Amino acid sequence: MEKQLIISVGREFGSGGHEIAETLAKHYGLNLYDKNLLQEIANEKSVAVKDLEKYDEVPRNLFMTRTVKGYSNSMEENLANMQFDYLRKKAEAGESFVVVGRCSEDVLKKYPGMISIFVLGDWESKVDRVVRIYGMSRDEAENFMIRQDKNYHNYYCKGKWGDSRNYDVSINSSKLGEEATAEMLIDYIDKRQNKH
Amino acid sequence: MAQIIATVIFLVMFLLIISEKLERHIVTLLSGLLTLVLVFGVCMHSMSAVINTLNFKEIGTLTFWYQAGEAAETSSGINWATIIFIAGMMIMVEGMGNAGFFRWLCMRLAKAVHYKTVPIFITFMIMSSILAMFIDSITVILFLAAVTVELAQLLKFNPVPMILSEIFCANLGGAATMCGDPPNIIIGTSLGYSFGDFISNTGLIVICALVLTVVYFFLVFHKQLRSDGTVDTSAFPDPKTAIRDKKSFTISCIIFALAVVLLVTHAQTGLTVATIGLGIAILTLITSGKEAVDLLKKVDYKTLLFFVGLFVVVGGLEQTGVLEVIAGLIAKVSGGNIKLMIAIIIWGSAIASAFVDNIPFAATMIPVIKSLAVAQGVDLSTLAWALSMGTDIGGSATPIGASANVVGTAVAAKHGHPIGWGKYCKEVAPATIMVVLFSMLFIFVRYL
Repeated sequence: MEKQLIISVGREFGSGGHEIAETLAKHYGLNLYDKNLLQEIANEKSVAVKDLEKYDEVPRNLFMTRTVKGYSNSMEENLANMQFDYLRKKAEAGESFVVVGRCSEDVLKKYPGMISIFVLGDWESKVDRVVRIYGMSRDEAENFMIRQDKNYHNYYCKGKWGDSRNYDVSINSSKLGEEATAEMLIDYIDKRQNKH
Repeated sequence: MAQIIATVIFLVMFLLIISEKLERHIVTLLSGLLTLVLVFGVCMHSMSAVINTLNFKEIGTLTFWYQAGEAAETSSGINWATIIFIAGMMIMVEGMGNAGFFRWLCMRLAKAVHYKTVPIFITFMIMSSILAMFIDSITVILFLAAVTVELAQLLKFNPVPMILSEIFCANLGGAATMCGDPPNIIIGTSLGYSFGDFISNTGLIVICALVLTVVYFFLVFHKQLRSDGTVDTSAFPDPKTAIRDKKSFTISCIIFALAVVLLVTHAQTGLTVATIGLGIAILTLITSGKEAVDLLKKVDYKTLLFFVGLFVVVGGLEQTGVLEVIAGLIAKVSGGNIKLMIAIIIWGSAIASAFVDNIPFAATMIPVIKSLAVAQGVDLSTLAWALSMGTDIGGSATPIGASANVVGTAVAAKHGHPIGWGKYCKEVAPATIMVVLFSMLFIFVRYL
């Protein structure tokens, strides 16, 4: 049986981490799980995906929600857990895949085939990229970037978001560019695959 | 100094409960310990305050278990009757759940109305209210919401309106009886009211309000309840499949019926709610054979410990006279006007309960209304009914106001149906305001 390979890609917003994950998925011929997980969950629950989107990768609002007997009425938390369960189910079934964000480096850490990567970037390059891709002004881009990721991750995981101790590789994509960074990561993943 | 420390402990406890950084029973137990050491020990040097608040001696008295004639007000501190009763009911409810009672009841009713959406909607609202009169609203909603989601998938309708109505009706039903909602158990055992007292006062308000509520939710939701197309109902699960074991199902039905009879007649038999809770628990455990250990393991000890700590902290506020100050404030604001006093109690409790746990709030307010009744010469029971309706119904207004709301919206969320504050409050808050207003007017007309 082929060895399981799960590539978890955490990223700073604007670092190009998502594109790098796409390159890795294409290179290894693996499914890429990101926002598309929502569609899978929506199909499973027979609900409209647009009703779930605004709760994706958002931390729970502590003052607006409560937990009683283990039941949390935070949609953000429920959706996060649905995604974690979905990923665990896939991993448990032996599937190899690439996953972007969703605390995957923490949720899937018990699987020996998991390689965790964190892609970061220089502030200026990230702002430039967000301005270019999303068509925002610099101020909008900066405000938008500050709001992303960190709180969500740190609410659901023990390890801190972006802390290099929680990842196998942390890499600054601004130095080499997305393409070369992806190539370097492929080299690393191949070596890891051949090692065992 | 003691007053300041007791108040600070209480406020910090409340904030920590809201933040959910620590489990709430740990918060109340630690706060209780701080109250005993700092308030009673360091500030007041009063061993008697510690003994009064821990209240162990109450359990050893005959009147704790059996009260011939009129029930008396209990002393302050830990309300052991409430804790024993809730523990007993938890064991009974676990037994019923294990036997498949709740799921069977929901499926049976849905089948009885031929799986038609609007009749299911109305019968589930009424069932939610009636069950919540005797069983904790969390259990009622847990089963009802789960079956509602299941039926919604089969019948292809949106389950959210139905779940919202069930939540509201569970909170409403809980207000009708002494054992329906924790604030009522605390009010009843602390002030010496019987099941009959509640049913003939808050119960009557609830029955009238239930009619209004069903009409309100029907008008608001009937368009959203349309099922998409025709569905073949012959393939639906038979209600009998919900029953895991016929013998234990029959036994759990008998025990539940017995609990209802004992509760309804407790003023006549003299059995206190503590005795009934303990008796029902023992009966459930004896009849459940090997599963008894499992049932005991499933008891929500955390909630019981939460109550223990909470009562100690409220005891701290009471013994230091903080609550008398609050009572004095209400008296001053109302200027001796009873109607205004009742309006403050019912709306104040409703608004507070909409945002914070209504159990600590009710426990705190009981000494306040006692003190008001004495100082202002107002009938204590009138204030008690206002407090009961305010705390029980006010909790319905927001998704975090009462446990049933949290569990109901959580079940919906787990199945991919988000219910945010906007959606929840838009539909349920007007019903809450309507019922609180109705209750206030009812109290004005009947008692003043």
